[in-house]
Amino acid sequence: MSDLSPTRLWIMRAGFVLLAMVILFFQLLPLETTPRWFAGPNLLLAFACAWCLRRPDYVPMPILAVLFFLADLLLQRPPGLWALLALIGCENLKNQGRSLRDSNFLAEWISVTLIIIGIMLANRIILAIVLVDLPGWGLSLSEAGMTLLIYPLVVAVSHWLMGVRKMAPGEMDALGQRA
Amino acid sequence: MARDRSLATTDYTGPLRRLLLAVLVIILGATFLLWRIDSPRVERFRAQVTDRLVPNFDWAMAPVTGTINLLRDFQSYQRLSEQNQELRSELRQMQAWKEAALQLEQENARLLDLNKVRLDPRLTFITGVVLADSGSPFRQSVLLNVGARDGLLDGWATMDGIGLVGRISGLGENTARVILLTDASSRIPATIQPSGQRAIVAGDNSAAPFIDFIESPDLVRPGDRVISSGDGGVFPAGLLIGQVAADPGGRLRVRLAADYERLKFLRVLRHYGTEAVTDTAQVIAPSGPLIPQDDILPDTPAVADE
Repeated sequence: MSDLSPTRLWIMRAGFVLLAMVILFFQLLPLETTPRWFAGPNLLLAFACAWCLRRPDYVPMPILAVLFFLADLLLQRPPGLWALLALIGCENLKNQGRSLRDSNFLAEWISVTLIIIGIMLANRIILAIVLVDLPGWGLSLSEAGMTLLIYPLVVAVSHWLMGVRKMAPGEMDALGQRA
Repeated sequence: MARDRSLATTDYTGPLRRLLLAVLVIILGATFLLWRIDSPRVERFRAQVTDRLVPNFDWAMAPVTGTINLLRDFQSYQRLSEQNQELRSELRQMQAWKEAALQLEQENARLLDLNKVRLDPRLTFITGVVLADSGSPFRQSVLLNVGARDGLLDGWATMDGIGLVGRISGLGENTARVILLTDASSRIPATIQPSGQRAIVAGDNSAAPFIDFIESPDLVRPGDRVISSGDGGVFPAGLLIGQVAADPGGRLRVRLAADYERLKFLRVLRHYGTEAVTDTAQVIAPSGPLIPQDDILPDTPAVADE
């Protein structure tokens, strides 16, 4: 029953913040200073989606918003826009989580695909509307594609290494709400 | 029964969650709009956040980067023997070049001495270590461990040992961000030698920035040297950028002289602006041959009274 204690809840929340910091740390390492034509996966978004679908109480909205905004600042993106879209996407996934709980992984993957593509497109459209220089399509598409490809791995790591599992029906979360 | 209660809790938390989401969305959206309207202020905030956070990771960044590079180098040991061959042949060529360079250096020193040329003594530099890169392939920049504390100013040029690397844009107390020449927002005024054509070296997220606004492209050939021109007074003139190269589409690009594969130590050149001559004839003599400006009628030419 330790799964339900507030201590565990806060440990997992802190764990997500730590995870985000580790991801940002490795992205910031000065390893690649030459331009590339492709982009790596957006691990932060992949982990956020996976955790939102499994245990929404581990990734409350304020933590997500602060981490996404920090990523925007540190990774030289236009501050706020990507964070806003990613936050809306994750909240959308949290709402779907209840219905996706009983379905298989493929359905989950498809809904995550829709969210990630949606974030990418909305980002480009809004940037185009406010006349900010757009990155190339190759970069945007490869980032979305790589994120989707890495998503099953992210889910596996969350499930087995970090113990972020879907709640069984009838299980209570830390606030005493029934799943 | 359970179903009912879960519905009830949803009803209770739903509006609160929606309210929180709305507040967060408004805050983030407002930040984005503020950035779009008043970019420098938000960028300064970004620099301050970076300044507070990234140096804390410094103790871990250097060893982790070192380890990863070590592992990468280890892969290259497989090609050791062919590399050795290449290096030997390159070394032979280099010896010839070295001889030529030594002779030219002596000749240059003699000529400078003959002309009593003094190189600009204010063009000194501060060396910084690269702390972090931009973290995403969408932007090309690096973070240095020197900042406003060391007297850096926005807009100063940054070089590695050989060529221009970029310019400072975004200063924190202890860190400074260098926008590389390859970044899509980088524009540097340049001169192409020997034809003396003025152009703009514009980054586009590729390894070789393209050359824009050339007056007569016919005078420019692949292999010409591209140096910074200092137009606009923001940037020191005469820094080596690279060589002209034509890409398969026939577009002129710069093959950069700086080694972008290994940006580790960078020099930031102190540059306090090119002094502009604003005086009139007093530059030539205290009581010059020309009468002061305010005595001249607007329609009389300045040399009329000679």
